[in-house]
Amino acid sequence: MPTIRLENLVKRYGNVEVLHGINLEMADNEFTVLVGPSGCGKSTTLRMIAGLEDVSDGEIFVDDKPVSHLEPKQRDLAMVFQDYALYPHMNVAQNISFALRLAKRPKSEINAKVREVADMVGLTDFLARKPGALSGGQRQRVAMARALAKDSGIFLFDEPLSNLDAKLRGQMRAELALMSQRVEKNMIYVTHDQIEAMTLADRIVVMHGGHIQQQGTPEELFKKPVNKFVAGFMGMPPMNFLDGEIHDRAGAIHVVGEGFDILLEGEKAATAKAHSAKDVTLGIRPSDLRFEENANPEQSLQLDVQVSEYVGAQSVLLCRCGPARVMVEVNSESPVALGQSLTFAVNSAGVHLFDRKNENAL
Amino acid sequence: MSSPNTKANPAFYAVIALLVFMSVGPVILMFMNSFKLDVDIISGTSGLIFLPTIQNYEKALCDVLWYEPDHVDFCSLKFGGAFVNSLIIALVSTILTLVIGCMAAYALVRFRFMGRDTVSLTTLMVRMVPPAVLLVPVFGLWNNEFCLDRDGLVGGAIREAFGGRGDVCLAGTHSGIILIYVAMNLPFVIWILQSFIVQVPRSLEEAARVDGAGPFQVFFKVVLPLIKPGLAAAAIFTFRIAWNEYLLASALSDRDTKTVPILIVNNMSEFNVEWGVIMATGMLLAIPPIIFTLFASRQIITGMTAGAVKG
Repeated sequence: MPTIRLENLVKRYGNVEVLHGINLEMADNEFTVLVGPSGCGKSTTLRMIAGLEDVSDGEIFVDDKPVSHLEPKQRDLAMVFQDYALYPHMNVAQNISFALRLAKRPKSEINAKVREVADMVGLTDFLARKPGALSGGQRQRVAMARALAKDSGIFLFDEPLSNLDAKLRGQMRAELALMSQRVEKNMIYVTHDQIEAMTLADRIVVMHGGHIQQQGTPEELFKKPVNKFVAGFMGMPPMNFLDGEIHDRAGAIHVVGEGFDILLEGEKAATAKAHSAKDVTLGIRPSDLRFEENANPEQSLQLDVQVSEYVGAQSVLLCRCGPARVMVEVNSESPVALGQSLTFAVNSAGVHLFDRKNENAL
Repeated sequence: MSSPNTKANPAFYAVIALLVFMSVGPVILMFMNSFKLDVDIISGTSGLIFLPTIQNYEKALCDVLWYEPDHVDFCSLKFGGAFVNSLIIALVSTILTLVIGCMAAYALVRFRFMGRDTVSLTTLMVRMVPPAVLLVPVFGLWNNEFCLDRDGLVGGAIREAFGGRGDVCLAGTHSGIILIYVAMNLPFVIWILQSFIVQVPRSLEEAARVDGAGPFQVFFKVVLPLIKPGLAAAAIFTFRIAWNEYLLASALSDRDTKTVPILIVNNMSEFNVEWGVIMATGMLLAIPPIIFTLFASRQIITGMTAGAVKG
């Protein structure tokens, strides 16, 4: 299956540059997820790979051959669209076989392929129906089957699950993960949903404002975000940010801000000490805070609980720490009352530090 | 319609009855009079009591009947020929208008080029020119400008083969009439079809492109089937105008290319107006558009794009 390489990819609409030189390599059989908030250029990147948008500058290489001047049909790729884009005048079987019929493949081969693919996505009973008579989830499957039937090496997804309801989305996500294991293709998946990104990806590329912020495995991105944006984007509920200053108290490095004073340990202390600027942002994930009445004050936060969101086994507490808002995940059984001021121990391995000026991780 | 009170209101039914009477009344009058002798029609006595006769139809159809009716001394009306002319002109101009119209509308909606919006707006202005204004210049052009010279190669060959005057002009030919009908109907057809094409989701065309369709395949296999209702509506509209048109056809046709509406007027002379025959021909004239409309309107199904994309 082909490798894809983007080199200094730039997209301009008139005078407005929306993609500022994207460099990216996607290896064989890799499930790459482009993730970012809306307007970050992820869909534009995908559509440029597909050939639906012109490349303003830079080049796309598939197997080291430049392709940016080619029509979509010459690029050996299949695509699943956000709004499914099913041909409403054709039934499911005709939708799935459209590409094969255009390629003038023999009838027997087309029929075999349609049956195979329909079986794979569970549409065998619906082949004679028109898209109008299908439910949202079934339409999504048809869109998937149509792309699968094409047998091309590159498989593009443009937010394929964003139109489904929450339950169905979870179900389709699992099916997609299963499918990606079975078919050996180079898949590129665009989404704004970081859960989809985390669960599906071999590699995540986080984009923001037309730039790639960070790329890596889901674990890398979660544990070692390179900047505040990536840290805040990955993970649910999002990371808490507290503005503070680095204080050196006779070798012990503290981060001090309004309402907290936390002692840094080990490696973190060393990097903080080496850092020139004093103004930092402290990042702590909600899951790295633990309700503990008698915690060491140098390893804990004092939080005023304002709202408690009960979500089952877990509750998310919305709290205040000085001027900052802090979210905490606690066991629902924890005896927490609103309006209380409580002590939460900080997991020292889960402390992230960011420069307050350029927002990069220390 | 929304409240049940509207249904019960007698005024509502009165208005509907009036509208039905206004639209169906003339047709019923035409139908009945076509079975009456001229004396019965003009006599002014109550129209309901008369002896039905098919004499009018026999006279109108005298050139296609297999027998010679006793009451017809000389068959002056060539209904068969005129009917064929009407069919050729109406069908060909409808087909041409649709083919050119859907492509033009697609280009106006989807392609980006200079002056697109201006073109899109001004097409309809052509439609606002009354046919009577077109008549004089078109008559002059068709008779004098668009001719094959008798000394020229093609014109000469035609004279050799068929004899006659030699110079062949657009005036008096089917093509001449078809051409002006196409020009007349195109703006409106483009206008209608534009609104249908706008509704075809762009992602459908993109999906087709990724699936391996070229620009023409995208148009013919994806866009065209989806705007079928629009094509049908445009076809009904164009066909009826071309079928009924009188003014331009009367000036631009000759003995061999005249259409049925022109033929009807031949029944009026300074001595006599043959109302019975006029009514009978009118009835016959009405049949093809009815059949055409019935067939075409089957294609008008709303919600063609249902299920294409998640709305």
